[in-house]
Order: sequence, then C-alpha cells, then structure tokens
Amino acid sequence: MKISRRQFTAGTMVASAAAALGTFPFRSAIAQGGKPTIAFFVKNVTNPFWKACRIGAEKAAKELDVNLEVVAPTKPDNIEEQTRLVEDWIVKKPDAFVFVPVDYKALVPSIQKANEAGIPIINYNNKMTGIEKVTFIGSDDALFEYEICKYLFNSMGGKGKVVHIDGVPAAITAQMRKQGFERAVKEFPGIEVLASQPGQYRRLPAAQVFENLMQRFPEIDAVVSANDDMAVGIVEALHAAGRGGQTKVVGIDGIPDAIQAIAEGKMFATVDFSGHDQAYLGVQAAVRHLKGEKVPQEILLPVFIIDKSNVDKVARTPEERPVPSWDKVVGKA
Amino acid sequence: MTVQVVGQRTGMVKPELLGLSPDRLFVVVSRLVALLLIVVTMSILSPYFLTWSNLINVVRHAAPLFLLSAGLTLVVLTAGIDLSVGAVLGLSACLAASLITGGHPALGILAALGAGLACGLVNGTLVAYASVPPFIATYGMLWIANGLAYIFMQGEVIYGLPSEFRVIGAGFIGPIPVPVLIMIATLIALHVLAHKTPIGRGIYAIGGNPVAARLSGMPVQRRLVFVYAMSGLMASFAALVVIARTNAADVSLGEEQLLPAIAAVCLGGTSLFGGVGGVAGTAVGAIILALILNGMNLLGIGTFWQSGALGFIILVSVFTDQIVGGRIGRMSGVTQ
Amino acid sequence: MSLTGSHPQLVKRSRALQLLAELPGAAYLLFLMSVLLSFATPEFFSVANLTNVALQVAVLAIVSFGMTLVILTEGIDLSLGPVLGLCGVVMGLLVVAGWPLAIAVGAALLIGAAFGTMNGILVAYVEMPPFIVTLGAFGIAMSFAMVLTEGNSVTGLPEFVRLFNEGVFLGIPVPIWATAVCFAVTYILLYHTKFGRYTFAIGGNRQALILSGSPARFYQVLVYAYAGALAAVGSFIMTARMNAAHPTIGVGLEFDAIAAVILGGTSFEKGRGGITGTVIGALAVGVLRNGLNLMGVSTEWQVAVVGIVIILAVSLDSLRGLNQ
Repeated sequence: MKISRRQFTAGTMVASAAAALGTFPFRSAIAQGGKPTIAFFVKNVTNPFWKACRIGAEKAAKELDVNLEVVAPTKPDNIEEQTRLVEDWIVKKPDAFVFVPVDYKALVPSIQKANEAGIPIINYNNKMTGIEKVTFIGSDDALFEYEICKYLFNSMGGKGKVVHIDGVPAAITAQMRKQGFERAVKEFPGIEVLASQPGQYRRLPAAQVFENLMQRFPEIDAVVSANDDMAVGIVEALHAAGRGGQTKVVGIDGIPDAIQAIAEGKMFATVDFSGHDQAYLGVQAAVRHLKGEKVPQEILLPVFIIDKSNVDKVARTPEERPVPSWDKVVGKA
Repeated sequence: MTVQVVGQRTGMVKPELLGLSPDRLFVVVSRLVALLLIVVTMSILSPYFLTWSNLINVVRHAAPLFLLSAGLTLVVLTAGIDLSVGAVLGLSACLAASLITGGHPALGILAALGAGLACGLVNGTLVAYASVPPFIATYGMLWIANGLAYIFMQGEVIYGLPSEFRVIGAGFIGPIPVPVLIMIATLIALHVLAHKTPIGRGIYAIGGNPVAARLSGMPVQRRLVFVYAMSGLMASFAALVVIARTNAADVSLGEEQLLPAIAAVCLGGTSLFGGVGGVAGTAVGAIILALILNGMNLLGIGTFWQSGALGFIILVSVFTDQIVGGRIGRMSGVTQ
Repeated sequence: MSLTGSHPQLVKRSRALQLLAELPGAAYLLFLMSVLLSFATPEFFSVANLTNVALQVAVLAIVSFGMTLVILTEGIDLSLGPVLGLCGVVMGLLVVAGWPLAIAVGAALLIGAAFGTMNGILVAYVEMPPFIVTLGAFGIAMSFAMVLTEGNSVTGLPEFVRLFNEGVFLGIPVPIWATAVCFAVTYILLYHTKFGRYTFAIGGNRQALILSGSPARFYQVLVYAYAGALAAVGSFIMTARMNAAHPTIGVGLEFDAIAAVILGGTSFEKGRGGITGTVIGALAVGVLRNGLNLMGVSTEWQVAVVGIVIILAVSLDSLRGLNQ
C-alpha cells in the first residue's frame, strides 16, 4: 500500500487537529478490547441482492462479535446521498468501512476523505481505484458474463438468435457485463444478436421492453439478461405470450426467484455471484485487519453456473446459505 | 375589477360528453389525430407494429398506467397534484403480495386497497382541512409510503402469486386481455362519476372556479378529500393489476411510475390549472404514451433519447393546446 | 389550493413575539433538532460535523435560492435537478477536452440560463402550466446529459476543478463562500431592484400587471433564467465534490429544493415568502438528514421520518396561517 506524502501529511494533520480538539476521540475498540463498530454500506434497501449482502455481513458480525451498522441511501443508488452518508460516517468514525460505491468513480473523493481520517476501507463488489483500501473482495463481472454466455451458446450448438437485456447503462457492472457478452458473441460466429436494450436492472421495465421486442422478433432462441431480476421478468413475459420453453433465458446473481424458475424448468441458467459471501468475507477481512492480521490485496471469489443439473443442491435463500470458509477462499486466491 | 375576469379560467364550462366548447373540441380532435398519426407512421416504419398481438400488447401496457393516472386525473381536475401515486402503488403491491402468497387473497386485496385509501385520505385531509399545499402533502406521503414499504419488505421480493389471482393482470377473456377490460370498466365508472353525479360536477367546479364553488355552498373540503382518496385507491388498484402481471412485488415497483402517470394526464388534455379535461382523455393519453414507448422499442431507439423524446412530446402537446386551442377559444368567445 | 382560510389571529403583543410567531416551522424544527442532536450524539456539535453539514447543504441552498424566486412567481421548476446534471457534464467535458476553465464555466452557465429562458418563455408568453413545461424540460435536459456522456461519468478532470469544493479562502471553504455570494446577490436582486419587485408582484397580480402594460412577462422569463444559471453554479460545486460529472447526479434535487423552499415559509401562492427562510429550510433539511445518520436510524425508518417531518412542519405553518 502506498500513501502519497501529501495525503499522509494531510491525514496526520487532520488526525492531530481532531485529537487536539477532542472531537474525534480515537477509539479503536479492538485495541481497547471492546466491540468494534463496522459501517457496512449497501447501494439500496430495495433490491434482494443487497439484502443477501446484509445477511452475509450480519452472520459475520454475529460470529465475530462486531457492532454492524448498515448504511444505505434513502433514494436507491443515489450518488449524492451516498457521498453525504460517507461524510457523516467519517464524523462518527467507526473502526472500518466495508464499502460498495454506487458509482465507482464519483465516490472516490469521499473515500479519499475517509482515508485521510484513517478509517480502513474494505471494498467489496464494485472495485474502486485511486483510494487506499485494505482489500477488494468481489469477482470479475466481465468474466462471469462471458462464462455464462459461452455456456449458453455451446448449449445452442453455437448458433441462434439472441436478445441481450442490459442493466442500467451508466452502471459499471452493466458495462463490464456487456463487454463479457460481446466477447462471447465474437467467439461464436453463428450467434446473431437481434437487439440489445437496457432493462434498468428491474423486473417491470425489463418485461415491458422485452414484450415490445417479442413483437419485433417472432423467433428468439435465447435471452441474455444482465441480472436475475430482469431474467425472471422476461421468463414471465415469455410464458404470458405463450412462448415459454422455446427461449432459453440466462441471468446473473442467483436470487431465490431465479433458482426457483430454473428448478421449474422455466429458466435456463444463472451465475451464482454471491453478495452474501462477499459481504461475509468483507466483515471478516475488516476484523482480521483490525486485529493486525495480513489480508491479501484482492480476494476474487469463484463463481459457478447454476442450471437444472445442480439446482437442487443450491440454497434458495441467503438465510439458508452456508458461510464460506475464509481459509479456503483466501487460500485459493 | 379586472381580477374577476382573471380568476375564471375557461369559464364555468359545463362538463358534457358532447356539445364541447370549441377549444375543448380541438384538444379532443388533436389527440385523436395524434393517435392516428402515430399508428400510421409506425405501421410504415415497422412491419411488426400493426399486428393484433402488438396492439394488444400496447393496450396491456397502457392499462395499469391508465388505472394509476385515472385517480390522478380527478385530483388534477381540482387544480391539485398527487405525487404519491407511485409510492402508494409500491406499498399496496407489497402488502397485497405478502398476504396473497401467505394464503389470504381476500385479505391481501382488502389490505392493499385499504392502504391506498388511507394514504389518499391523509393527503386529502391535509390539503382540505390543514391547507397544506397538495404538492407538499403528497410529496411527504411519497416518502412515508416508500418508508413503510421499505420497513415492511426489508429488501425482499415476493414471488409466485396464485394463478387465480393472476387472471386480473395476465389473463384473457376471449382475445381481450383482462387488464384491458378492467381499464374499460374503470373508464366508464369514473366517466359517469365525473359527468353524471353532483360529486363530479363539484370536482370540475372546484378546479374551474374555487371561489364560486365555495360560495355556491358546495362541500369543497369533503370533495377534495374524496378526490385524493380516489387517487390513493386507484393507485392500489393499479398495484393489484401490476403484481398480477409481473407475478412479483418489490418496493421499487412504484419507482418511475409518477412521471409517466402525470404525462398521461397531460397528454390526455387535462389542464394542470384544473377544471378542464377528464378521464376519457387520460385513457387516450395512456395509450399514446404506451404507443410511443412501444414504437421506440420496435424502432430500436436508444434509451438515452427516450426521456428527452417523452419530454418533447409533452411540451408539444400542451403547447399546441395552448396556442391553437387558446386561439380557437378566444375566437369563439368562451374565455371572454 | 388553499381554499379554506384559517385566519391568522396574532395578538400583537410585542415585536419580538410577533417575529417569533412569523418564523417558519423550519426555524423551530432546526432549533429543536439541534438541541436534540446535541444531547443524542456527541459528534453533532463538533466543528468537523457542522462544517460537514454546511458543505452538504451548499448545493441544495444554491438551487433553492433560484427555486424560491420561481415559486414566488407562483411557478415551479422541476427541471433544475437534471439541468444541474447537464451543466456539470458540459463543464466537465469542456475542461477535459482542454478548454480553459472560464469558457467551460461560461458555457455551463449559458446552458443553465438557456433552459431557464426556454421554460420562462413557455410559461410567461405561451401561458403553459409551469409544472408541465419544466417536466418536459426535465426529460430533455436528462436526455442531453445522457447522450453527451453515453451514461458514463466524466472523469479525469484537472486538479484545479476540485478547488470548487476543497479550496479554502480566509479559513472558510469555497462552497460556503459560493453559497454566501449567491445568497447576497439573490438578496440584493430580490429586495433592492426592479427585478425583485416584479418577482413578488407577479405572484398574485400577474394578470393585472400584464393588463396594465408592464413588462411582467419579461421579468418572469428572467426569473426562470436566473434559477437555471444558479443550477449551473451548483453544478460546479457538485462536480468538484465528486471529482466527476455524472449525468444523473441532480435528479431528485429539484424536489428537495422545493421542500426546502416551502419549509422555509415561502408559499406557492401570492408571492409570499423570501430568501432568508429558504436558507433556514435548506439547513433544516440538511441537519435532519445528517442527524438521522449520526443517530444511526435505519434507512427504512429515515425515509418515513423525512416524509412525516416535511408534512408536520408545513401543516403547522398552514394552521398558523403562514402559508395562506
């Protein structure tokens, strides 16, 4: 980890000034043998993916006896509000941030302020650059989108007509996933992309866009959706139009509804991209760091494809999901 | 006193189905022409457009939007606004889905409608009795309804509604989708309410000339509470149709429903100054909106342009009403 | 909208009492919250946190100043949020492309004012409802910002842009200076110029003014243009704060600004209210959000609490007859 001299001096100045004023009592609870407080950030309180993250983090907090504060903007995915949240939490000075940015670029200055205040940052899910972080825990969006597309296209014999439903175009995850999709398409000359339209990562807009596309394309062999929430909406739209079963739908996330749909044979496959595991390991990493243990700079989680063959073995809800073993994952990474 | 002239907008035009004032006739005709133009242009541009299945698809999209904006229309007719409709839709959807999947369908429907009604009653009471500006009362309610939904759901999605319930959103009677039938029935009921009952006449009078309405001894406050309650109720009704269609409910269902609902009301020719317009126009507005979105998807127009195109269309429609309709109105002497 | 007058029956005991009675609900709210928070969380009354709140409120306050003028003319401007986003994007793209800062800033101000002028003309001369006009402009500004950036943040801004947020002059951060300057300029415009007199007069007497042949329409356009230009000023601070210009950064800000204006005691009708109240309104919104975070209220409850507080504060004002 490199700390530029300017940042370092700024950091020490802020710290000493604060200490002098007595407004920032330094309370590294672990050093004092108390219960550490960790601010755990999510992007919103509306999407089940972030609920799974929260449950993962809460499991770790319970095991490790940590005081976990879940921090989310009131307006889902609102950049300006998350900036204010970070600033407010710098004032409260918890022992660590387990952080996911709603925009990986726009939150950089705020997290730099947290760096200056000396709060350790564990970055999960969306990778940030230009900040000091203890570690990044997540997986490569472009890679797993590529993997599931390859899996899908192979199952189609390498040819067919495909519709791509994108997420929120401005989101980095959507851009990376689109890259992965495009990479896979390039490798399969028999695959024809009929259309690529955004579904805002949400079920209803995705279903409506797809219903309109169904009118345009009477024959669609497969749909690649940038997340499961949209994929399930598309599956519903296909069945409502009496076209269920003819089109293979794949998504990403492994949310309970999608797993259910795969078990019922309505959906083809999804990628298990576990927010639950990322968050669990994020809190683990924070505590290990506070105890002075060495944490690797990057922890990339393995992803696996869920389809009809293994769907019965997958835990349906984040509550039931077993927690990952730190040694196993970090050993692998 | 010049002010008296000023206070009247289009005068006390009696709401009648036919015998519309010339400027209103322009609004009605222009909407039908716009509808025709869109249909003709789209049929030329896209071979998939003028198919039975696509047109059914369009009205199916228009139906929940209409239900949401129909109640809002009544509010707008009184020169008010209801910003909470999307949030109330989200809250009602969550309550209904939770109880219905829990095996209490009747209770679920009642709870959703009750929640919508309650939110509307609070809005109406604040506006009518506490004189809170409608914009603020309903903006506050937007936050409250969202908050209650967040607290209730804790980030969960409820999935898998029984197929008997799903009929109202995804079913067909013959070739006609059930939501479209619901839309037609609602349209008739609200049209009769607005044009054939004292309550309806009161709604128009309050928007057209509030002072006169009060002086004539009309129970203005009760009428106001009524329209906001109807708006909340219709939002929760729309919620039932939406969850029946998507087979799932989460708190974000109502997000981004507000602006299209307001747009449908305006495209339908209801004036935000109050007193002029009606639910029939809103039905046309909702269909125009659904047609435009369908058209943009069929033509593959990028989403970045979609909100701008929508904004532009709203501006053009109200602009022509104001310029052309206003001129016709003045020529015929309706606005003195 | 306010058809039922509860008439203010203020007993004129003394000037001080009267002043107290005329204070908007936001002032009481601000006072109550400050006292409560000082007890509830030790961090609240620290220099660091108060600076924090002031910085957080700066953009909201600047946008709310323009919104106040628009609302005084019985109008509303829903497009200010997306216009702020667009101005930031334009400024960002120009400086990244190597244009001098002055030109980038000028272009952004021009675009803000141009959107305002378009809104103003449609409202003042075509007599379209402000709600609809600015809703249309909302969509158009958002589309422009999205198309210009293809939905991405504009990054790689030169270091000096961050001075808009991090710069300190005479010990006070630049955003606070900017807010103070915007306040002073708006205050002078509003209370010491013809522009200000027209702003107040248009609310409530617009038709009479027009019939009497005075240039009320022209001044109404100026009000919207000024609000648009202030949104551009807000965008500079916002862009510096994020060190990036994001096309959707302003969306939702317009509603917060309207809430701040109304909480500050400005009425939707008859040109009643003023700019000082708006400062209090914006601060009340800022302190409320900051306080809820510091107290560790869960997000779900925060959402509901914000709504309840807005409704309560404005209801109290209405019942006291302040919003009539």
